[in-house]
Amino acid sequence: MTAYNTIAFDPSRCELCNDCDACITACAQVKSGSDDPLYSRIKIVAGFNGNPPELALCRQCGDPECVKSCPSTALTKNPDTGLIDWEKSLCVDCLLCTVGCSYGGITYNATLKHVAKCDLCDGDPACVKACPSGALSYITSAGIFNEQHEREDLFVPGLSACQGCNSEMIMRHSLRKVGPDTVLATPPGCIPGMGSVGFNGTTGTKVPVFHPLLTNTASMLAGLKKQYNRMGRNVTAMALAGDGGAGDVGFQSLSGAAERNDQILFICVDNEGYMNTGMQASGSTSYGSWTTTTPVGSEMKGKRTSQKNLAMIMMNHNCEYVATASTAFVEDYYEKLDKALAASERGFAYLHIYSPCPTGWRFPSSQTIEVCRKGVETNFAPLWEYERGGDLHFTHPIDNPLPVEAYLNLSGKYRHVNAEQLACIQQQVNERVRTLKRYAGQ
Amino acid sequence: MATPALKLKHPGCAQSIVCDGNEAAAWAVALARPDVVAVYPITPQSSLVEYVSQFIADGKIEAELMNVEGEHSVLSALHGAALAGGRTYTATCGPGLAFMFEPYWRTPGMRLPIVASLVTRDGITPQCVWGGQQDAMTMKETGWIQIYCETVQEVLDTTVMAYRIAEHHDVMLPVNICHDGNYLSYGVTQVEVPEQSAVDDYLGEKNINWHVALDPLRPMAVDPLTGGAGGPGPAKFVAYRKGLCQGMQNALGVIEQAHADWAEIFGRDYAPLVEEYRLDDADYALVTIGSMTGAAKDAVDSARERGQKVGLIKIKTFRPFPVAAMTRALKKVRAVGVVDRSVHYGWDCGPLYQEVLSCLYRAGQPIAAGSFIGGLAGADLTEGHFARAIERTAQLLAGDEFDSPVWLNEHD
Amino acid sequence: MNTTHYLVAGASHAGLEAVHRIRLVDETSPITLVTRDAHAPYSPTILPYVVSGQSAPERVVLRPADYFLQHNVTLISDNELVSIDETGKQVTLKSGDRWQYAKLLLATGADPIIPPIPGLSETPYHVLRTMQHAIDLRDHAGKVKRAVVLGAGLIGMHGAENLRHAGLDVTIVEMCDQVLPGYFDARAAAVIEHAFNANGIRMLMGSRVVRVEPLGDGCRITLENGDSLEADLLLVATGVKPQLDYLKGTSVQVDQGILVDRRMRTDAPHIWAAGDVAQAADFYGEEKVMMGILPDAVTQGAVAAMDMTEDHALKPYIGGVPINTYTFFGQQAISVGQSLADASLEELTRVDEDHGRYLKILLKENRLQGISSINQEMDAGIMWQLILRKVDLTPVKDAFIARPLETGRALMSSTWR
Ligand SMILES: Cc1cc2nc3c(=O)[nH]c(=O)nc-3n(C[C@H](O)[C@H](O)[C@H](O)COP(=O)(O)OP(=O)(O)OC[C@H]3O[C@@H](n4cnc5c(N)ncnc54)[C@H](O)[C@@H]3O)c2cc1C
Ligand code: SF4
Ligand code: SF4
Repeated sequence: MTAYNTIAFDPSRCELCNDCDACITACAQVKSGSDDPLYSRIKIVAGFNGNPPELALCRQCGDPECVKSCPSTALTKNPDTGLIDWEKSLCVDCLLCTVGCSYGGITYNATLKHVAKCDLCDGDPACVKACPSGALSYITSAGIFNEQHEREDLFVPGLSACQGCNSEMIMRHSLRKVGPDTVLATPPGCIPGMGSVGFNGTTGTKVPVFHPLLTNTASMLAGLKKQYNRMGRNVTAMALAGDGGAGDVGFQSLSGAAERNDQILFICVDNEGYMNTGMQASGSTSYGSWTTTTPVGSEMKGKRTSQKNLAMIMMNHNCEYVATASTAFVEDYYEKLDKALAASERGFAYLHIYSPCPTGWRFPSSQTIEVCRKGVETNFAPLWEYERGGDLHFTHPIDNPLPVEAYLNLSGKYRHVNAEQLACIQQQVNERVRTLKRYAGQ
Repeated sequence: MATPALKLKHPGCAQSIVCDGNEAAAWAVALARPDVVAVYPITPQSSLVEYVSQFIADGKIEAELMNVEGEHSVLSALHGAALAGGRTYTATCGPGLAFMFEPYWRTPGMRLPIVASLVTRDGITPQCVWGGQQDAMTMKETGWIQIYCETVQEVLDTTVMAYRIAEHHDVMLPVNICHDGNYLSYGVTQVEVPEQSAVDDYLGEKNINWHVALDPLRPMAVDPLTGGAGGPGPAKFVAYRKGLCQGMQNALGVIEQAHADWAEIFGRDYAPLVEEYRLDDADYALVTIGSMTGAAKDAVDSARERGQKVGLIKIKTFRPFPVAAMTRALKKVRAVGVVDRSVHYGWDCGPLYQEVLSCLYRAGQPIAAGSFIGGLAGADLTEGHFARAIERTAQLLAGDEFDSPVWLNEHD
Repeated sequence: MNTTHYLVAGASHAGLEAVHRIRLVDETSPITLVTRDAHAPYSPTILPYVVSGQSAPERVVLRPADYFLQHNVTLISDNELVSIDETGKQVTLKSGDRWQYAKLLLATGADPIIPPIPGLSETPYHVLRTMQHAIDLRDHAGKVKRAVVLGAGLIGMHGAENLRHAGLDVTIVEMCDQVLPGYFDARAAAVIEHAFNANGIRMLMGSRVVRVEPLGDGCRITLENGDSLEADLLLVATGVKPQLDYLKGTSVQVDQGILVDRRMRTDAPHIWAAGDVAQAADFYGEEKVMMGILPDAVTQGAVAAMDMTEDHALKPYIGGVPINTYTFFGQQAISVGQSLADASLEELTRVDEDHGRYLKILLKENRLQGISSINQEMDAGIMWQLILRKVDLTPVKDAFIARPLETGRALMSSTWR
C-alpha cells in the first residue's frame, strides 16, 4: 500500500470561534474565484458544547466508499497521488457518492450544480497556506513511508505490542532504514517483550538479534563492533533500548560507550518507566506521574522527583551525535536517523525518542501520535540535535508553546495533578528549555 | 619489565625470563593472540592488566584494547566480541568479580569460550585487598571452568592451555585460570616463555562462534526467551542446561589431553586434574589447592623424614570436579586433612573439604576427614601451618576427634 | 472439470466489491467471476444516462480488463450459472462447463418483472436492466417521438427523464398515487411530480393498464378508466425480481430473494448471496427485506467476502436502510431511512415553498430514523451513518434540527479522529 501526502487538522489551534474562515475563503477563491463559502470544498464546523471545531473534508480514503458507490466511473483513486479524482465529463450527478462518504468529503454544490471535493490543489493546498494559526498543515511524510516500504521489514509479522503503541512503528521503520547488515541488541523491555528477540528457539527479527542484560547493551555492542572492525567488516551495532535499560541500570555501560565514542547506533525508546513489567517508575518518569511504584494516595501524589534528562546527559559526553525525536514528526526523525546512522560509523550516536505509552500512561490507543505532538508543542519534549563539536540545534523550535496542560490533560497518569504540581511541571519545562537554549547559544 | 635470561631448559621455549605471576599471565595472553581484551583494574590484578596494556601498546600483543568503565562492561564487551567470533581475554577478582556477576553467570549458558584470569582475592567484608580464594569459590556453581595454579610457570602455561580447553568443540565454555593474589600475582621467579610458533601450532585454528553468532551473514536470535511451563519450553530449557553439564564433563578429558600435549611439546608436565604427591604408600594425606601446595609439600617431606606416612593430593581442576581422579587418590589413604583458602558458610568448613566428603561418600569410603582453613586475606601459610595440619590429620587416623574446622591462622 | 477456490456469480456492484475484499486478505486463492453479460462490467444505475446519450457505454466500465489480470481473477462473461450441485460443490454454466468451488457467492442481481398485462407478450416493449437493453432503447428512442413508461419507481423515473432529455414525448403510467413510493412521502413526491409535469412529462398517477396491443411500429395502451394512449416506444419498469432458476434442487431457502443471515450466508453450506439477489435483515424490523439499491449491494458484497475469507474485521450486516439520492431536472431529492411517520416517531418538517425546499426529520427516542429533503444540501452518507450507529442526538438535538448538515458533519468528524 502506498502512502500519500495529506492535510492534517489540529482543532485545538483552529480559530473558527473567532469567525476565522480563511481556509474556506481561500478554497472558494482558488476553486471558483468567489468568496462565497458555498464554493469551498473544505468545511469547518463548530464543535459541540465548547468542544473544538470539526472538519468536513475529503480524507482521500484508501478504500473509498464514494468510488464504490459511483456508477459512472467519474470517481477513481489515483494510484500516484492518492487523490480521489473526479471527472466531470463522466459524472451523471446521481449523488450516490455522497451516500458512500461518511464525512461530508464529497458534496453537491448547488451553485456549481455538481458534486465537488478537495483535490489538494496539486500538492499546494490553498487552505493550508491561508490558515493563520497552524491548525491546518500539509503532511508530506508520505514519501518517507513509500521509500521505507521499498525496504524489507526486518522484523517478523505479528509482534504483539499493545494496541496504539508506537514502539513497533519506531523499531520497524528504524531497522528497515538501517538495513540488514546490522546486529540488533534489545535489552529487556517492551521491544523484546513483544517478541522481537524470539521465544523458545524462534526469532522475531531477520537480522541477528540479541537479548542482552538490562544493564550491558552498550558495552556488549562495543565489543562486538570492535571485533567486526578488526575483521574489516562493516556491521552496524544497533541498540533499541527502553529508558530503564538506557538511563537507569544500563546507564553506566551507556555512558562508558559514549565516553569511548564507540561506534554504536543507540536508540532509546523512552516511555518514562518500566512499562513491560507493569508500569513502574524509572529515572525517566516525569514529575507528578502516576506509576505503580509512584502511586497516588493520601500521602503521595505520583512521582516526587523530576525526570533525568538523558538526552542532555548524553550530549555532555561529547559523543558523535545526540538527538531527540518524536513519532509525531517523522520527517524530523528520519533526518536524524540518517545522521545518526552516518555518525555511528564514526562514533557513538544516540537517539532519544519520546514514546508515550497508551497502556501505562492511560490514554486511548488512538491518541498516541496526538500525545507525541502535544509533547513537542508544549516544549515538554523539545526536538533538537547535537553534533560533536557543534552547538545544540532546535530542529522544530516552538516559539509559542502551548501551556503544559495541553499535554498533561491527554494522559491519565497526570489526572490527579494539582495546581501546585502543575506549576512545578511548567516551571521545569521552562527551565529545561532555557538550559537547552544556552547550549544552543541563544 | 623483567630482564630475559639466556639459558633455556626446554625445546619449544623461546626465552627464559624472571617475572611475577601477573606478568607471566600477560605473556601467556600475548602467546594466545586474542582479538579483544577488555580491562578494568583491581588489586591484586592491576599489574596484570597494566602488562597486557603495555604489551598492546608495544605491539607485542596485536589486539583491540578496550578500557571500559567497570567489570560489568568488561565481560559484556567480551560477550559481544566473542559472538562476533573474537578470541577474548580479561582478568579480575574480588569485588570486581562480584560486579561482573550478571554477565558472568550468563557466559557459560551462551557457551562463550572466554578466558579470564582470576587473581584470587578474599571476599569482603571485612574490607581487604589481599589474596584468598573466597571470590573464586563463591562462583563455583556458575558453569565456568575453574583451574587453580600452583606456580608462576604454571600460570603462564595453563593460561595458554585455557584457550585450547575453552574453545574445544566438545567444551565451548569459559575458563577461569585462578592464581592466588599476592603469592602468585607478585611472587617473582624464573619462567620459560614458549616459542610463538609452537603455541600457534598447539592452539590451532580458532573458531569461536561456530555454534552461536551475532553475524548478519548467519542471522539468528541469540538467547531468545526460553522455558516456561508450556509448549516446547521445558524440554528446550533442559536441553540447554543438560548440554552445559555435558560440556563440563567433556572438559575433564579435554583438560587432560591439553596437558598431555603441552608436556610433549614444551616439556612441562602438570597433573591436569589431581596431583598425587608421595601418596602411594601413604596412610593419610593433606588435600591442597593453589599456591599453598609448595609449602604443604615441604611439610610433607619433613614429616616423611620424621617417618610419618603422609602424602598430598593437590586439586588443579576444581570445576568440573574431577570425581574419578580424586576418588582414585583418596582410595590410597585412610584419613585426610583438607586445607582451604576460603570458607563454605553453609557447612562451616572449607568448600574443597565439602567436595572431598562427597567423593568419599560416593566411593563408599567413610574415612576420617578434617577441614583446615588458612591463608585468608593474604595471611601466610607456612610449612609450620601444614605441619600442624599433618599432626591433626594423623590424630584423625588414630581415631581422635577435634573441633573442625581448624582455623590455621587463628593464633598467628 | 475446472476448479476454483472462490466462485462469484455476477460482475456488478456486489460481485465486484466481493472480489476486491477477497483480494485484500487473500492474495493467492483462485477467484473465478462469471457474468451473464457480454459487456465489460458496468452499473445498471448508469443505464438511463446511456439511453439519453450522456454516458457512452465504453466509458462506464467499472473494472478494466487488466484489473482482472493484475488480481489474478478469471473472468467468464457471456455465460451464466444454470445449476448448482451443493453436495459436490459444483456449478454448471450455460456453456456446459462445470466448475468445482470451495466457496460460492451468488450476486446475480435482479431482472425486470414483466407484469401479466393482457397483450403485453405480443407487443414489442423495452425493459432496462442491462447494457444491451439500454443500447436498444437508446437506438429506438433516436428514431421515434412518443414514449410510454410503465411504473414510477426508480427505473421508470430515471428512464422517463432521460427519454425526455433524448427529445421524446413521455408519459408515465403508475398504479400508485405517488411517484417513488417507499422513499418519499406524498408531499415530496408531489414536488417531484410537479417537476416532471413542468418539464413536459405526462404523469398518469393511480392508473392501471388493462391492455396493451401492437399498433403499427408502436403500441396502444388501454387504461382501466377507459382512456387509451398510443406510443412508438414502451418501457416496462414495474419492478425487479431475482431470477433464481439455478437454485433448483438446492437447499438454499428463498422468499422474494435468497434468504441470508447477517453474514450473507444462505442456508446451504459454502454458499453466500449478496446484492439485489439477496433478501437480508432489515434495519428497522424483524422481516428480511429486498433492498435493491446500489450502496447496499456494495455493503453486502463486502460482508459476504469478509465472511468467506474469515476476515476478523468483519462486522455483521446491520440491516438495510432505504436510501435514495434522486436528481431530477436539476433538482435533488434525498431520502435516507424511513420516510413515513408513525405514532412512535417524532416528526419535524420544514417547508420553504418559495425556494422549493423541503426537509423532514424523523426521530425515535432522539435517534435519527429517517431524513428526507428536497433542494437542500444534505450529506446522505453522514445521515446513513447516524442512523446505522444509532447516535444519541439528545445533547445536540436542537442544533441538529436547526442545522442537520453542519451538526451531522461535526458528529461524524468527531468520530474520525
Ligand atoms: C435503471 C436503473 C437505475 C437505478 N438507479 C439507482 C439509483 O439511483 N440508486 C441506487 O441505489 N440504485 C439504483 N439502481 C439499482 C442498482 O443498480 C442495483 O441495486 C445494483 O446494481 C445491484 O447490484 P448487484 O450487484 O446486486 O446486481 P446487478 O447490478 O443486478 O448485477 C447482477 C450481475 O449478475 C449477472 N448475472 C445475472 N444472472 C446471472 C447468472 N445466472 N449467472 C451469472 N451471472 C449472472 C449480471 O450479468 C450482472 O453482472 C438502479 C437500477 C437500474 C436498473
Ligand atoms: S469523498 Fe469521502 S469516501 Fe470519498 S475518499 Fe473522500 S472521505 Fe473518503
Ligand atoms: S454524482 Fe458523479 S461522482 Fe458522484 S456518484 Fe454520481 S456519477 Fe459518481
